[in-house]
Amino acid sequence: MGKIAITGIGVVSPSGIGKRQFWANIKSGRSFIKKITRFDASLYPSHIAGQIDDLEKYSHISERLLKKIDAFSHMALVASELALQDAGIDIKNEDPSLMGIFLGNAIGGWLYAETELRDLYLEGREGVSPYMASAWFPAAPQGQVSIYYGIKGFSKTVVSDRASSLMALGYAKKVLEKDKLNMILSGGMEAPVTPYALLCCNTYGSLSENNQNPNEAYRPFDKERSGFVIGEGAGIVVMESVDRAKKRGASILGLISGYGYSCDGVDRINCSGDGKELARAISMALSDAEANIEEIGYISLDGLAVGLWDDSEIKALEIVFGEYLKNIPVSCPKSMFGNLLGASGALDMIIALLNMEHGLVAPTLNLETPVLKGLNYVAKQAKEYKITKSLIISRGRGGINSVLVIEKHPAL
Amino acid sequence: MDTKSKTKEVLSSLLKVKIDELKDDVSLINSIGVDSTEMVESVIALEKSFGVKLSPKEITKNSTINDIAENIQSKLAK
Repeated sequence: MGKIAITGIGVVSPSGIGKRQFWANIKSGRSFIKKITRFDASLYPSHIAGQIDDLEKYSHISERLLKKIDAFSHMALVASELALQDAGIDIKNEDPSLMGIFLGNAIGGWLYAETELRDLYLEGREGVSPYMASAWFPAAPQGQVSIYYGIKGFSKTVVSDRASSLMALGYAKKVLEKDKLNMILSGGMEAPVTPYALLCCNTYGSLSENNQNPNEAYRPFDKERSGFVIGEGAGIVVMESVDRAKKRGASILGLISGYGYSCDGVDRINCSGDGKELARAISMALSDAEANIEEIGYISLDGLAVGLWDDSEIKALEIVFGEYLKNIPVSCPKSMFGNLLGASGALDMIIALLNMEHGLVAPTLNLETPVLKGLNYVAKQAKEYKITKSLIISRGRGGINSVLVIEKHPAL
Repeated sequence: MDTKSKTKEVLSSLLKVKIDELKDDVSLINSIGVDSTEMVESVIALEKSFGVKLSPKEITKNSTINDIAENIQSKLAK
């Protein structure tokens, strides 16, 4: 029932590091999907991705720490620092026991793990870094961020496939509502552009194999859709109560006002085709936010670019919004930089915040001919809209549904 | 290169700290804030570099560079 303020944004993405650079690229509708060059991926059926090549330029992390952590923890540390700077928070002035971290991740840190496992088989047990145990697992970034800032309050890592980070944001909202913490760093991170992780993503079977045209490969809701494209990065925000944010004179970038969740429970991999459980999660989020459907001014789509997933997502929206759906601008901007899996929902929420701030909806790329017509798709280029409330949908394998409602702070 | 200089070089390269941060007579915990996993790594790296067997009980966070070098030197002399 409570509304939680977002006061800082940290983005590490293929479309840019830091919210200004990120927004400049997102609003211009540029694709950042490229052929994978980090290793020879040419034999993988899908070998394109959204990649980050210049993280070191923005990093404040020492070489001493870098050798102990995987890339996904590095991304989380940089995104956390950017979020804290954006929020104007000096960690030295905070009570460590009243700060928490809620992050989402789907697959863990495989760049580190792969290298060390190779050394295990080549050199034996002494060839393996003692940091392997603490570097690869999905909660490692939460641990590294907490150590870096001395955070000691209640914290969690959510592992729910692609729905992980939106779910982490939802949990963070619920914890702050209970007034148990002063502030939370929340969002997610993912680093799947590694030989083994890419293999697993390929085995999943829903990646686009349009390797010859990386910019055109990820086309959610389009007639020519061929699956999604992976991306790497992190999106982390500072969350705190509205009262505390006001008291310290912080800029309130938006409010998280509603959270809903459900599971389809029909298949190990696929979602349900009827969209009913997703519709229930959407209704739950709207009810939590005390928002009417007519108040929603933007819907951020999960958009896996797979028939069953895209179509059931639209079915769920039709169940909840009915005829009114055609009035609401909808978009899937991750088509520009890739699906960040466990971090995708956090990036979607950050884009929705920036959309509201700038009165502009970032576009879905490559949406030429929608399979399901009658929706107000924002395609190819950004469009101006005044938005006060947005709905964000994030879904994971097997039909894990997570939905947030965010809104502008009335003072904005 | 003498044992002390080589010890410093191995630890500096392994732990990514500057050589002058490693003080001759200050413990590793007090000079560079070494953690327990770094100590495990350090013992293995020193064993490999000098070709001697070292025990984690002999070389600890509280050891100084002088302590470590003397320990290695005595084993090399045997």
